[in-house]
Amino acid sequence: MNQFTFESRYRNVLIGFMALGLLCLGITFAIDDELHTRFWTNYLHNSVFFTGIAFMALFILAAFTTAWAGWHTLIKRIWEAYSLFLVPGLVLMLVVIAGVWGHFHHLYHWADAGEVAKDPILQGKSSFLNPTWYTLGTLIIVGIWILFAWKMRQLSVDEDVNGTPEFKHHHRLRIWAAAFLPIAGFSSAAIIWQWVMSVDAHWYSTLYAWYTGASWFVSAIALTILTIIFLKGQGYLENVTAEHLHDLGKYLFAFSIFWTYLWFSQFMLIWYANVGEETVYFFERRENYPVLFYGNLIINFIAPFFVLMRNDTKRKYGTMVFISIVVFFGHWWDFFQMIKPGARHTAMEALAHHGAHEGAGHAAETTGHALEFAMGFTIPGLLELGTMLGFLAFFLFVVFNRLSRASLVPKNDPYLQESLHHHVEIHGDEGH
Amino acid sequence: MSAVVSQIREPLIQGGKTYHQITEDIVSPTERAPGLAWVVAFIISVSALAVYVFCVAWTIWVGIGSWNLNRTIGWGWDITNFVWWIGIGHAGTLISAILLLFRQKWRTGVNRAAEAMTIFAVMCAGQFPLIHMGRLWLGFFIFPYPNTRGPLWVNFNSPLLWDVFAISTYFTVSLLFWYTGLVPDFATVRDRAKGLRRKIYNFLSFGWTGAAKHWQRFEALSLVLAGLSTPLVLSVHTIVSFDFATSVIPGWHTTIFPPYFVAGAIFSGFAMVQTLMVITRKVLKLEQYVTLAHIESMNKVILVTGTIVGVAYLTELFIAWYSGYLYEQFAFANRVLGPYWWSYVGMMSCNVLSPQIFWWKKMRRSIFVTFVMSIFVNIGMWFERFVIIATTLARDYLPSSWSYYTPTWVEIGLFIGTLGLFFTLYLIFARTAPVVAVAEVKAILKSAGDQYTGPDAHAHEAAHKAKAH
Repeated sequence: MNQFTFESRYRNVLIGFMALGLLCLGITFAIDDELHTRFWTNYLHNSVFFTGIAFMALFILAAFTTAWAGWHTLIKRIWEAYSLFLVPGLVLMLVVIAGVWGHFHHLYHWADAGEVAKDPILQGKSSFLNPTWYTLGTLIIVGIWILFAWKMRQLSVDEDVNGTPEFKHHHRLRIWAAAFLPIAGFSSAAIIWQWVMSVDAHWYSTLYAWYTGASWFVSAIALTILTIIFLKGQGYLENVTAEHLHDLGKYLFAFSIFWTYLWFSQFMLIWYANVGEETVYFFERRENYPVLFYGNLIINFIAPFFVLMRNDTKRKYGTMVFISIVVFFGHWWDFFQMIKPGARHTAMEALAHHGAHEGAGHAAETTGHALEFAMGFTIPGLLELGTMLGFLAFFLFVVFNRLSRASLVPKNDPYLQESLHHHVEIHGDEGH
Repeated sequence: MSAVVSQIREPLIQGGKTYHQITEDIVSPTERAPGLAWVVAFIISVSALAVYVFCVAWTIWVGIGSWNLNRTIGWGWDITNFVWWIGIGHAGTLISAILLLFRQKWRTGVNRAAEAMTIFAVMCAGQFPLIHMGRLWLGFFIFPYPNTRGPLWVNFNSPLLWDVFAISTYFTVSLLFWYTGLVPDFATVRDRAKGLRRKIYNFLSFGWTGAAKHWQRFEALSLVLAGLSTPLVLSVHTIVSFDFATSVIPGWHTTIFPPYFVAGAIFSGFAMVQTLMVITRKVLKLEQYVTLAHIESMNKVILVTGTIVGVAYLTELFIAWYSGYLYEQFAFANRVLGPYWWSYVGMMSCNVLSPQIFWWKKMRRSIFVTFVMSIFVNIGMWFERFVIIATTLARDYLPSSWSYYTPTWVEIGLFIGTLGLFFTLYLIFARTAPVVAVAEVKAILKSAGDQYTGPDAHAHEAAHKAKAH
């Protein structure tokens, strides 16, 4: 079956999960503190995470097209569909932007004019960290991403019908893909500084953008594996075989290690130099969020490293489903630990100011001591899981919708035959 | 590798070669007397090597005082050259290991020469920490072993010691990898040779006969070495970057250093491969094996890594401002606008701006532009290390100890001397071993030879004709 139909039974299940997500968000809002910190951090966390996966899918397509990769041709429609989630992703971020202007939330320390007035460090950054740049940055950068996603999808789909023997579409696609790479390199850094790094508004790290990029990349690959195996289970993508899965498994393995490399580089250099302005970031996480801090490494490095090391595990559907779920959840967890501690700190200070007449200096006290356990901050709770499932269902709803609009097989792609006959060489594997 | 190859791919072996012709073309340069160009180049290189020997002797006899280092600027040209050479020593193993993983078949045309270059570059790099010790005969102090000096142990907390391990491991594995690939090719050379020459190549090829068992062990060893090399390629320059980034010197202590150094190393490594291959393919008439498609692919790698390095430069600048940290802001303002502004300009224009010319296909496929650009990048990457090292040290926390550094003739002589060492070794290599991996090129003939693939493939037509007769 080359044509995916978005059947009503899929639709209903996804709508069910989206309802669950909304319900969880609603409950979170209701039981939250007066600034609704848990609600807003959950919202930002999932919006950034899934928008980032859509961006990474586009980046993968652009990189593979530029590198003349052929093996992925049979699955490229999935990444095209992922990349089109950038449109709803932008809408999700617009809500955060509205919150910055309307002060619905206290996600960002720098968005609070009263705080900035007292804080020389924030004043120094205020020409970058301000509502106008946050808005413009998001609109322009995600807008450009959407333009590329839309254009590359359009060329790819048009090739199915109007493909020429000279592969005109493909040659144009190469130009768009190559042009996207430097844009992606510069813009993803600029936007992640605003969206996530500025949650810890005082703290900075030059590696941060590449670190989060690697996290998005691994999540995108893990979700791709899950989507492929689901579609195969439904009788689609019959030409996608263990060979393609094997290559995706290699990516999952290699980039899990790459992510760890970046994690280690960032942590080790800060730990070693021991500059207080920098170590505070990790100190806070290690002391007050040990489960997040150590769990991050166990889920995202140790698990994929040992499971994916062998060749044969990358070719088994069951194992791949298992490890993809683990790693996907792991990088969602990674973003959770990037956002929650900083936002909680900001909120606690703001709450202390709100109640200043009751007992001033409460915030100063709390920062010195171990923080209390708080569900939804110290570890993700059931509400966070439900919210994540809701966002995931929303993501897949958009993806399936887009998948159903075009053939699953890019019929006139010049590399189609390579992908159909793809075979991974396994060295030292005699007898097969 | 799939046997089906898209016709959109350009063939990587041109001229409708047969297996025998491949052997003939690649091995025969080792069997002829060297041409005039080689002899002239060799004389120049050995002369430069003599300069090196003299300058090392001078340094050891007179002492490190013959360099212009001072209390403020403890690292100058020496460590700049060290990092520059280590960076160049990245392309070989990257091509052998990482491009192998990514199934980039064009690697077969250049991997042998690139690996050789890697080994020679790492040898050049290794000279500098040793002569920087001043008392070269105490060089073995860097090894941790129970000793009678106290016992006085090396400082395990120091990234400089990690460097010793990282680089010696990298050198060992690269050498093994390179030599393993050479074994079947040495056997090919042997099979065509007579007399003493035959005996020498028989020894070098470990008596290789090409038996199935030999190939099986060869494959197994190659796989193990490829697996080891992949993390090693990343680790070497990562640890070199730690030499700087673990410190608390503004401009050095920044978290992006590890991956950014690795990208820069790949960048400079490919530039040096281009410099060498553009000449080698011409002199040895290997244009049908190192084709314009190969050169174009390498120029693309240069464009990508140059731009990655550009992202890192701008990230550093931006975060220095963003940090709100006075010293960090000063360090970067000083880099761009301080007394060494010219080196920053040199770095930016050679590494980030000039490679952008490769957005045009015509430029990517121009031999002249490629060669000029490869020299630009080599210069730019040298400037990058100079910018990081000398300009940062020249203006430290204490304005009273600020200084300005220029090299003495000894330091310049040492740098030119290592170029002599490098090219002497490369020229010997180009005379004695096949500079393109014969066995590997043969392995891709049917999936990348122009008679089998590409828009003008004619192999199937020939087969049809043969059937008809």
